[in-house]
Amino acid sequence: MLRLISSIYKEFLVLIRDRAGLAILFIMPLFLIIIMTLIQDATFKSVKDANISMILVNNDHDSLGAAISNGLYESDFFHIVETMDGDPITEDMAQQAVAQGKYKIGIIIPERATEAIRENVKALINKSFSSFNIPGTKRRTRKSTVDIKIYIDPATSQSFKNSLMSSLKEFTAELEIKLFFQNFSSTLAGMFPDQDPIEFENFQTINYEEIYASTTGDEILPNSVQHNVPAWTMFAIFFIVLPLAGNIIKERDEGSVVRLKTMPGSYVTVMFSKIFIYLAVAMVQFILMLMVGRYLLPAMGLPQLEIGPHKIALIALAIASGFAATGFGVAIGTIATTHEQASTFGAVSIIIFAALGGIWVPVYIMPHTIRIISEFSPLYWGLNGFYDIFLRNGNIVAVLPEIFKLIFFFAVMLLIAIGYNKINNAK
Amino acid sequence: MQNKKHIIEIKHLTKVYKGTSKPAIDDINLDITTGEIFGLLGPNGAGKTTTISILCGLFAPTSGNVFIDGMDYQHSSETIKNIIGVVPQDIALYPTLTAKENLTFFGHLYGLKGKKLKTRIDECLELFGLEKNAGKKIKTFSGGMKRRINLIAGILHKPKIIFLDEPTVGVDVQSRNVILDHLRNINKEGATLIYTSHYMEEAENFCSKVAIIDKGEIIIEGHPEELIKSKEEYTNLESIFLQLTGRALRDE
Repeated sequence: MLRLISSIYKEFLVLIRDRAGLAILFIMPLFLIIIMTLIQDATFKSVKDANISMILVNNDHDSLGAAISNGLYESDFFHIVETMDGDPITEDMAQQAVAQGKYKIGIIIPERATEAIRENVKALINKSFSSFNIPGTKRRTRKSTVDIKIYIDPATSQSFKNSLMSSLKEFTAELEIKLFFQNFSSTLAGMFPDQDPIEFENFQTINYEEIYASTTGDEILPNSVQHNVPAWTMFAIFFIVLPLAGNIIKERDEGSVVRLKTMPGSYVTVMFSKIFIYLAVAMVQFILMLMVGRYLLPAMGLPQLEIGPHKIALIALAIASGFAATGFGVAIGTIATTHEQASTFGAVSIIIFAALGGIWVPVYIMPHTIRIISEFSPLYWGLNGFYDIFLRNGNIVAVLPEIFKLIFFFAVMLLIAIGYNKINNAK
Repeated sequence: MQNKKHIIEIKHLTKVYKGTSKPAIDDINLDITTGEIFGLLGPNGAGKTTTISILCGLFAPTSGNVFIDGMDYQHSSETIKNIIGVVPQDIALYPTLTAKENLTFFGHLYGLKGKKLKTRIDECLELFGLEKNAGKKIKTFSGGMKRRINLIAGILHKPKIIFLDEPTVGVDVQSRNVILDHLRNINKEGATLIYTSHYMEEAENFCSKVAIIDKGEIIIEGHPEELIKSKEEYTNLESIFLQLTGRALRDE
């Protein structure tokens, strides 16, 4: 025990004497979490709060133009531009401006578009009632489909384009129904002239209620902070691999390992002292990052991180993640022969683990094969566990499988390091 | 039954590193008597470090055996590690820790603690003229001071056997004299020293017995004075060394 305590104290002294290294160790993850959460916040809010500038060329000047125009103005999603230098924008000007990347989108509503829709609706209704020989319902010829042109900047994201198309379809569908009912009403008036005409009432028959599912019944509202703080915290915890591997290589390069291996006691004791200290560092990082989510991000205009009631689950998962990260660091530090090898392999492998873990792109939208590979990423286990706690309100039981997998990963990494040391000694 | 007079016995020791066909040491046999200052000399790549590493328990031989005070590493690794002290050629210390912090850490690993450890550290620091620098970080030390602390870390627990790999390399004359004088005193107190060096004059004056190793084999062994007297053309240990190992450069 004296050897372990003394080794831990020695590691502590080595760590705190490197002031610059210590500052980097704590400050960089905080920068990472602040910057990434701010950036991802815009993506998370998607179109909603981005207030993207868009050109609208309304050549219709009738119901369709008004419906789309009003819908876009009222949505607050977009900043609508209809004139340039005081002149109305033409289709050519719109196309040019979007092509140059000045605007993301240009919508062109053609002339007499509403009239064409009205004619089409009438043609449809009259065709349906043609067999009744009602006066005024003679067969009409349908006009061709109304084409609303949408010029899109090629650099525009697919998700933004999808959101816009969905909004436009919603505005036009409502108008189509309204026109259909108006014509249907006038046709019926022709059939039953003694009756009062039917008033079209814009009544919504279906309502969508969004409820975030939770096993406990308590609802945590997802927001960019609830998503990003756990994700980037997990990422930052794993970056402990680099200083830990560097510490092991430095000790070996400076020759202290030779002395340590000729001294009584197992070299594993020395390894455990490193794991203990770097695990403590990871936990301090974790607490600081939670505090950033709780106090600093709200001061920057972002939502406050809701930690939820399951603090034991959170602590247990953070410790398990820290163990997985330190185990990985010990394995890399033992196997790598130079700092360059350790830093390159360590950093790239963490980024790969993070990508597979769903930090940038959610795992559920990844290709099938990648989803299977993701199951073996410790960052996926950790992130999934944190989502269980932060978003699904999960308790310790909910995150036990993730905790088990992370501890198992730590044990495997440690065995690899010990095994490699033995093989190396036998050379 | 091992001979009690021989604190180290090396029997048919061979080491072939993986990926090489040529043995680094080939069927070495050596006996080192208790209380001796034994010099293991040889050009670069001769097999000195391999031999010392096996004797320190850093790795196992391909074949053959070593007995340290009658014990072997397979059965008594922990006991052996408690009676040996190793002074590596590299400064195996933590540069950002003070001299006292380094020695306290290594002392704890040897199981020393409390007042006993503190007294021993103070005694060693005083002995090697470093008592005023106890609280200074190793990275601020001169080369000679680092060598002395490196040596203290290996002798703190008063080992029966001390392995010294080039203990005076790169130090000034004053530091060298301090180191060698104190090593002689430690030897007089009963410790056996196994020493490697490239300084032949130093080895000639310091060692009670030497072995010259080349290409993995012991080519000569004996007391320096007797070896010098054994042939007319031998004027000193360096002349023996050069005649036996040649004048060609050895870079590996």
